[in-house]
Amino acid sequence: MFYRDRKEWADLEPVPQDDGPNPVVKIAYSEKFSDVYDYFRALLKKDERSDRAFALTAEAIELNAANYTVWHYRRVLLQALQKDLREEMRYITDIIEEQPKNYQVWHHRRMVVEWLNDPSEELEFIADILSQDAKNYHAWQHRQWVIQEYKLWDNELEFVEKLLEEDVRNNSVWNQRHFVISHTTGYSSPAILDREVQYCLNQIRKAPHNESAWNYLKGILQDRGMSSHPGLLEQVLELKETHCSPYLLAFLVDCYEDALENNNQKETLNRALEVCEYLAQEKDTIRKEYWLFLQRSLESRFGPSAASGEPLADGTEPPAGNDCHT
Amino acid sequence: MAEEESQLEEFEQIDFLRDRHVRFFQRTLQVLPERYASLETTRLTVMFFAVSGLDVLDALDVIDRNNMIEWIYSLQVLPTEDQSNLSRCGFRGSSHIGIPYSVKGPGVLHPYDSGHVAMTYTGLTSLLILGDDLSRVNKQACLAGLKALQLEDGSFCAVPEGSENDIRFIYCAACICYMLDDWSGMDIQKAIEYIRGSMSYDNGFGQGAGLESHGGWTFCAIASLCLMGRLEEALSQRELDRIRRWCIMRQQSGFHGRPNKPVDTCYSFWVGATLELLDVFQYTNYEKNRNYILSTQDRLVGGFAKWPDSHPDPLHAYLGLCGLSLIGEPNLRKVHPALNITQRAFQHLQQLQQTWRDNAGTCT
Repeated sequence: MFYRDRKEWADLEPVPQDDGPNPVVKIAYSEKFSDVYDYFRALLKKDERSDRAFALTAEAIELNAANYTVWHYRRVLLQALQKDLREEMRYITDIIEEQPKNYQVWHHRRMVVEWLNDPSEELEFIADILSQDAKNYHAWQHRQWVIQEYKLWDNELEFVEKLLEEDVRNNSVWNQRHFVISHTTGYSSPAILDREVQYCLNQIRKAPHNESAWNYLKGILQDRGMSSHPGLLEQVLELKETHCSPYLLAFLVDCYEDALENNNQKETLNRALEVCEYLAQEKDTIRKEYWLFLQRSLESRFGPSAASGEPLADGTEPPAGNDCHT
Repeated sequence: MAEEESQLEEFEQIDFLRDRHVRFFQRTLQVLPERYASLETTRLTVMFFAVSGLDVLDALDVIDRNNMIEWIYSLQVLPTEDQSNLSRCGFRGSSHIGIPYSVKGPGVLHPYDSGHVAMTYTGLTSLLILGDDLSRVNKQACLAGLKALQLEDGSFCAVPEGSENDIRFIYCAACICYMLDDWSGMDIQKAIEYIRGSMSYDNGFGQGAGLESHGGWTFCAIASLCLMGRLEEALSQRELDRIRRWCIMRQQSGFHGRPNKPVDTCYSFWVGATLELLDVFQYTNYEKNRNYILSTQDRLVGGFAKWPDSHPDPLHAYLGLCGLSLIGEPNLRKVHPALNITQRAFQHLQQLQQTWRDNAGTCT
């Protein structure tokens, strides 16, 4: 039954949308839809704080869960009418299960959790959402917020390892691994760093063509001396024979570049240029022009003309290198 | 015989169907069916996709620009008589709150009426694209509304009532300040700190600190810094090189938004434009990118979808075109990679800003 025909609503004058004489991107609503929202607009104008208003917000949400004004008004009513927030948690749980990629529903849940100051259902709930879509950005964002806000770090690394066993290529999980470790033990201890390096290499042995694992490896080493980590270069060169990938080769280039920055050796530069060539011509041809560009850039930074301080044929100047040793 | 026919078919498959796209955007600007209800509060952004899309296609002549300009101005939240709502000013996404249609002030007092940062951004860009001179925009009110949205950590909310806060809205804010040529609406230093804090261990940018790096947020980060004129101040050469590498690895055929995820047409713009801003888009594979985008073209109704054989929508239709424009597709206007409007519309903005500066100079 339409709101306009209900006698308990007769005191309220419905408010239609008014787009003027030339509406743009007009959405053609059914009578039912317009009726609900005409009364929503009427309530909003009065800023009515009542149970009938609260009930109507649920109908409005069902018709359009992306309307942030309806959610805001519902929160105002939740507080003004002192509604049962546990019941609201049940409500928002159902809505998120139906529409897990909507910003407003996750924001609403966060507000209710904050008001209750109770995160106890969150990790399990988010795990359930992730079991349906393991890369849902909203879910991971909410998870990070809950963990950080309520200090729920204890079991998260275990959760990460379980998910990586299910799908070692899930980039969101690798990101979560970094999130947990950087906020707990950190990476500065050699024991932890080495553990993580070995973990990566093991995952790479199982699934070589995995950008996420290589990004993580590079990420934790790039500012801690990629080329100086004991035995790493050797392990990577070994892997190159049996578990090659564009990511392995790119990692090699980055190792060589790191080495060159500390000790510019012709042999190192040649190896780096060779790998760039290999990537460009054979192993990562979609990025051919980029690898050739990188090759030129390495040549100009570390090559013989760099040491002499002369400008290059293409007009670029070599760096003011006092890091160029011969 | 069969072989000849299938080769001909293949050629037709990668043909760019300009007229279909023009009609797709025209229909978008008219009426959408009820199943698009979730777009109600963001109708102004949908208008931007269509209008800017028509601009990229050099087809703005098919619409009534003046009528559209009036509709946009009806969405401006203007100051009330007593100016008590200044921190809520800006542009609405649509008429969904029920304010009676009006293109001039003073503003109407309403307990729940306020602007939305993404609508203020797309409202301003749409006005520019349609040739308006922004003379009816209350710039000071917009900037006051913007200022009220920035948080201590440097990020922005979308609306003064509260919402999620992240890097998307920093980008919207940067566009607004850039267009209005007035950075008093934001604390640039804090915004830069938030952006830097959003850089992931893998050198892409997430929606905020600790979050997974993503092509869309990386665009927001880099484009914002470019608009602020602070790219090389905020990021070292080493960091920029690392970001270039993260971005260029997103190309699989077209582009994806995160490692190990499927490609999607819109990333041809988000990642493509970022690469362009970083001077390395020239090193991507144009042919594979073009082939992917065109494989998502809807040959019947026009527009583009995220994937082949999927339904087109205004966002993917617009960003697919922008992706093609970046690779120099013939008969498409060039797009300003940071502001995401055509260079033509950008030049109009530059002329306007020059006029403002000249006028400011003559005010005694």
